[in-house]
Amino acid sequence: MKKNMDNIKANLSEALELPIDITLDLPRITIIGNIEVSVSNHKGIIEYDNEIIRINSKAGIIKVIGDELEIKNILSEEILIIGNIEQVEILS
Amino acid sequence: MLAIKIWNYFKGYVIIRIEGLQLERLLNLALSQDIYLWDVRRLNYYQVEICVSPKGLGDLIELVNKAGCKYEILQEKGLPFFFERIKHRKMFVTGFVLFFLIVFLLSSFVWKIEINGLEQTPLEKVFEYLNDNGIVSGTPKISISEDEVELLLMNKYNYFSFIEVKKKGVKLVIDIKEESIPPEKIDRDYPANIVAGKKGVVEKIIARNGDALVKVGEIVREAQVLISGAMLTNESEIYLVHAEGDVLARTRYESEVIETIVKMTEKETGNVFEQKGLKINNRGIRFIKDIPFVNYKEYIKEEKLFDLDIIDIPINIITYEYREVEIEKIRQNIDSLKNSNQLKAIEEINLQIKEGAEIVARDIKHEINGNNLITNVIIETIEEIGKKVIIEN
Repeated sequence: MKKNMDNIKANLSEALELPIDITLDLPRITIIGNIEVSVSNHKGIIEYDNEIIRINSKAGIIKVIGDELEIKNILSEEILIIGNIEQVEILS
Repeated sequence: MLAIKIWNYFKGYVIIRIEGLQLERLLNLALSQDIYLWDVRRLNYYQVEICVSPKGLGDLIELVNKAGCKYEILQEKGLPFFFERIKHRKMFVTGFVLFFLIVFLLSSFVWKIEINGLEQTPLEKVFEYLNDNGIVSGTPKISISEDEVELLLMNKYNYFSFIEVKKKGVKLVIDIKEESIPPEKIDRDYPANIVAGKKGVVEKIIARNGDALVKVGEIVREAQVLISGAMLTNESEIYLVHAEGDVLARTRYESEVIETIVKMTEKETGNVFEQKGLKINNRGIRFIKDIPFVNYKEYIKEEKLFDLDIIDIPINIITYEYREVEIEKIRQNIDSLKNSNQLKAIEEINLQIKEGAEIVARDIKHEINGNNLITNVIIETIEEIGKKVIIEN
């Protein structure tokens, strides 16, 4: 049932050219080079370390691996991570 | 980024270190409470450093206590905390304010009066005169008006041809240009030199007081000292006198007049061509059409589109009027042109020659160069060129 609903939403937003991340309530992950990752529409932090940051989201767990990682900004809507980013994984 | 940093500085922020387990949970709790956190640095497994606004600090501490963690406030940064600290250092603040107040106060006075360009008038006299009229060093700047000082000087010294008074910082700078005044009007109490008022060849020099420095037949430049007021005593010490004497010199005046032989005159034919344009707020729109004349004169007329008394609507209609002209060439008689040129040149020279000058030679040359008649007039005179200049100490 939920999958059907998601399909309808996806088709609808494609037809109406609406941003899919908003209609499906998905996170928007923006990566700038290897120095910055911003995740909007997240669901909280699971793990925070200098090497690994794991963030919960509707799409699954977003795992950012690198070194000297630092959370520059943290808001209920958005997280901004800076540092030397090596990997960004989505575990769904 | 910089804007945010400045904003944070004005609002003030606190750097706090939190110790405990499950710090991620604490961060999530803070998120759900809408506490804005930034520069979150994980120091190690059980420690984290966070920047938080003073408003969010209370809520955060509450959460920290709830989560069973410990906290330590490391630094308080920003303007509000700065003021807080300064409250306890009243003397420091007073000194700071006093410093600026004193600088401001001292710089609002004129501390020095500088007069440039005086040659024939003793500097002390001018200073004395200014002092008598309330312009002394130590007067507030605001009570000195440049125009008034100019008028004051202009009234007293009618031979000042140019006076400019300026306030430069704490200085009052007065620039003066003098016209030559008759030597007998110069104050004899002050030592003076006699210098050449213009270039010439010395014909006669009589020094009644002072040392004559030039000989008859010598060529002198402008401003060269002719009779020096600085004299040597037998013990070879310098003493200053008010130089007196006459210096007659042969000087030269030259004037050149150029006139075209074939003159172009413009004559209107009566054909007129009009164009309209619009002008809104000084920006013009013009409807361009070709002007059907080769030679023309342009007249521009501006009219208001709406002539209302109450408001000024800045829309103007511009009429460009082009009047056709015919160009006629007129060849002038060379002999009469020579005469008129000569007269013009001599008139020009006469304006420069001083009264009492004796004209000893006159030389007139005409030359035709293409379409131009060049007339060159040289007049030589013998005249008094001495000019007294007060020696400044």
